[in-house]
Amino acid sequence: MQIRENKIDPRTKLTAVIIISSLAVFIRDITLLLGILLITFTITYALGNNPLMLVKKLKKLIWVFIAIIVIQSVFSSGTPIIRVANVTIFTVEGITKGLQLGLRMCIIVISASIVSTSSPREIVQGLIQWKIPYEIAFMVSIAIRFLPLFIEEIKDTVTAIQLRGIELDRIPIRKRIKIYSYVLMPVVASTLMKSKQLSVAMESKGFGIYPTRASFKKLKMVKADYLIIAVFLLGAFAIIKVYLY
Amino acid sequence: MENSKNLKEAYNEVILLGFIKLSNVCFGYKDNQDIIKNISLELFKEDFTAFTGPNGGGKTTLGKLMAGIFKPSRGDILIDGTNSKDLKLGAVGKKIGYLFQNPERQIFAPTVEEDITFSLIFKGVEKQQVTMKAQEMMEIFQLSHLRNQFPFTLSQGEKQRLALAGILINEPSFLILDEPTTGLDIERKGQLSSILKELSKRGVGMAVISHDDEFIQNLSTRIIDIVGGNVIADKRK
Repeated sequence: MQIRENKIDPRTKLTAVIIISSLAVFIRDITLLLGILLITFTITYALGNNPLMLVKKLKKLIWVFIAIIVIQSVFSSGTPIIRVANVTIFTVEGITKGLQLGLRMCIIVISASIVSTSSPREIVQGLIQWKIPYEIAFMVSIAIRFLPLFIEEIKDTVTAIQLRGIELDRIPIRKRIKIYSYVLMPVVASTLMKSKQLSVAMESKGFGIYPTRASFKKLKMVKADYLIIAVFLLGAFAIIKVYLY
Repeated sequence: MENSKNLKEAYNEVILLGFIKLSNVCFGYKDNQDIIKNISLELFKEDFTAFTGPNGGGKTTLGKLMAGIFKPSRGDILIDGTNSKDLKLGAVGKKIGYLFQNPERQIFAPTVEEDITFSLIFKGVEKQQVTMKAQEMMEIFQLSHLRNQFPFTLSQGEKQRLALAGILINEPSFLILDEPTTGLDIERKGQLSSILKELSKRGVGMAVISHDDEFIQNLSTRIIDIVGGNVIADKRK
């Protein structure tokens, strides 16, 4: 069953994300973290996000997770699992810490996608009605709006570099790192140019000309929103109680 | 030996071999929403092929498929005899030069000269030769006076010329140009036409995606009309 995402207030979603992310940071128990991940996954699906797409996105992060587990294992003291010439490579504690970090990252990434089911305009409106200054709320909406464009630009630059006949997987690592440094330049330059153009466009439309702003669209929390927030708070309270006692 | 060479040339004269061959190609950005619908085509180096059609018809997507940037969801694309699915982008780049619709996407060095010479330097070409080739490209595309300039502060037309210079320094066998005349004034459009004509004479294959009717009519030997992801006309002049 899918809940029609448009009916849920963005503030409810933001509250849910804050609660879930806070739980992910606070809790260290792997079983509980797995439970939170499962709940987050279900909520995201219920709100209309394609879970398979999320799994695909997380698949790209698998090497980051593995690297975290290895680094944590190497630098954490504890019960050794693998030792090579008196050097501990893997420890039980290290693997546990690595898994905790990996699960935390998964929860935060998936929970953040809950907010993406609302339009940037609705999120801004939600933040404004939370009494957050309009300028800051607008900045948040710009970040949400432009992030996919930056990712696309990075991808295009890497494509363009390869289309100049450079086979990235066949060149030495030192040269490859230098090539990747070229990717940053167009992204930074275009970001600066876009921000300049955007500021001119905003000024020309009279951004911030009046001290107060009126909104055509007003968000109104309904019973379901309060109920969802209550369920999340109670759930969070229950999880913390289980974790502490 | 001489005989076999003559035979091969004679064979190529009778049966032209397609440099890019598309067989029943379908592609969509989302599942079950094909932008390119079962297109079969063969592009020859001997032709100057133009792709025309309304906005959103799939011309740029088709161009990216032919350049190996996208892989078809169904069907096959052969680039110089090799399936694009088996080719890495770097390998495609050695054969095909692709000009993006927005030239900014393919400019990445801090100076104009470095951007032109970028690929040669990383391929380990001798410095003297790199300088010579860069000089030649900058003269052809009238970029010499901008050699030390930051590329992102150039005008749209200058960026377009820089992107083209960066591609052509690699001496590709085939060029796919997406809207190459955007931002060029009449004089520079004329110069671009001359350069492309010259390259075409030297045996470089051309596929141009453009709305510029005059430019297309002036240069092309074959015009393919793409509407709604389908080829609706394929005419030779």
